[in-house]
Amino acid sequence: MHFAPLPYLDPGSGSFLIQLLIAALLGLGVAVRASWGKIKGWFGIKAKADEDDDESTE
Amino acid sequence: MMTNQLNSRQLPASFRDPSGFLFSRGGVLYRQVNRVYEQEYIRLFESGLYEKLVRARLLIPHVEVDQALAESESAYKVIQPERVPFISYPYEWSFSQLKDAAVVTLSIQRRALKLGMSLKDASAYNIQFVRGKATLIDTLSFETYKEGQPWVAYRQFCQHFLAPLALMALKDVRLNQLLRVYIDGLPLDLASELLPWKSRLNFGLLTHIHVHASAQKRYAGEEIKSRGGAMSKQAMIGLIDNLEATIKKLAWIPKGTEWGNYYDITNYSDSAFEHKRGLVAEWTNRVKPSVAWDLGANNGVFSRAVSTPETFVVSFDIDPAAVEKNYLQMKNEKTESLLPLLLDLTNPSPSIGWANRERESFGSRGPADMVLALAIIHHLAISNNVPLLQLAEYFAKIGKCLVIEFVPKSDSQVKKLLASREDVFHNYTVEGFESAFREKFIIHEKVPVRESKRVIYLMEGK
Repeated sequence: MHFAPLPYLDPGSGSFLIQLLIAALLGLGVAVRASWGKIKGWFGIKAKADEDDDESTE
Repeated sequence: MMTNQLNSRQLPASFRDPSGFLFSRGGVLYRQVNRVYEQEYIRLFESGLYEKLVRARLLIPHVEVDQALAESESAYKVIQPERVPFISYPYEWSFSQLKDAAVVTLSIQRRALKLGMSLKDASAYNIQFVRGKATLIDTLSFETYKEGQPWVAYRQFCQHFLAPLALMALKDVRLNQLLRVYIDGLPLDLASELLPWKSRLNFGLLTHIHVHASAQKRYAGEEIKSRGGAMSKQAMIGLIDNLEATIKKLAWIPKGTEWGNYYDITNYSDSAFEHKRGLVAEWTNRVKPSVAWDLGANNGVFSRAVSTPETFVVSFDIDPAAVEKNYLQMKNEKTESLLPLLLDLTNPSPSIGWANRERESFGSRGPADMVLALAIIHHLAISNNVPLLQLAEYFAKIGKCLVIEFVPKSDSQVKKLLASREDVFHNYTVEGFESAFREKFIIHEKVPVRESKRVIYLMEGK
């Protein structure tokens, strides 16, 4: 009988590594947006209200 | 304490989590919180997260009850969550229901991060529709967030939400049925293979599904040395924002399917329709069911005639477009006592998961106080060849009372069904129908529907 090695391979490692990579990239975006918000602030343009302070989600 | 184990029942859906489990006693549902979860439970309250989530109707509220109810020595507390009138599963949801469940999961994660906590699970099974809104029902899903730690539920989120939604939106809405086979969500390599090539042009789908699937294959089984300090909070927020933006962009607009415009092509007059609706409403008022199941509900016209604050209606249909329309209307009108769900009555949801007990079958979530079976019997008896007696037996099993419409062979809809097949349904007559159903039911009312050849009945199980 042939036992496929597949069930022993955990996809978790790949998920972990790719998450770090994608998140690092997206984190940069968050930083850029935050600085952009600050720059706009200097010119008196208000940032959008934080949606999490709303009571609703949709 | 151990003596309490008599007359109680630990529910088989929550065996995996060491933090606690669900059990029922005397028909009431409780959740035991284990001592290993004490610190996290305290933090959920002290951080203000519980209150914030409950106020936004994102998390199910609960009350703490007498600890003497505990099932085992490992108990820290026993809580009683608000009752969910009907537990449903992601393979029974329409596109927008799954999408709302995904968005709710991400909003919870974002709020949790702000208050120093993080979701340790992103299972679609932890979301239920409570008073019309997707709500997290697993109070024990939170852990303390440590800066640097990645989102442990990232892969699960992609498998349970992103992959099925992408397939439904970009390939075929019926692919949500894969969730019935893959209980822990769609394997990402499968999703990647099934998605059309153009999905690679979408940054979110390219990274969270296609590249993610390749990375899983490439690094399978490799040991990860450092697990901490690797991912900043800013990066985590970027990840959550991007998942949310990717999901919000996915859309599915129902096209005119077999049933989508059923009420426009129906063969009976407005007066017949109103007569039928009046009878259904009157009989419901007489039966006063707390839970009613409307089978073959289409977009829920009759479900709405039945649904009241006292009567919760589960509105089932086989057509994804009808369920989608029903759900969007329900959301729009803020109806709280209605739940549209996808169901093929000729092959209803089975019980699945470990020992076939994790997720309950359609039938074992009953019986309902009242079942509505309007304009559906010809599909079951003629298209699906189910003998009338077997239909009576099944309906008696899933409902205490039954409002059923008999559609005779002389009806134009039945004529259409019989056009392409041999008529072997010799006892498919009013007399044959009544004699089969009398085996299992007492017939309380029998009314011919005005301006039609149909007859509608109110029956009660024997």
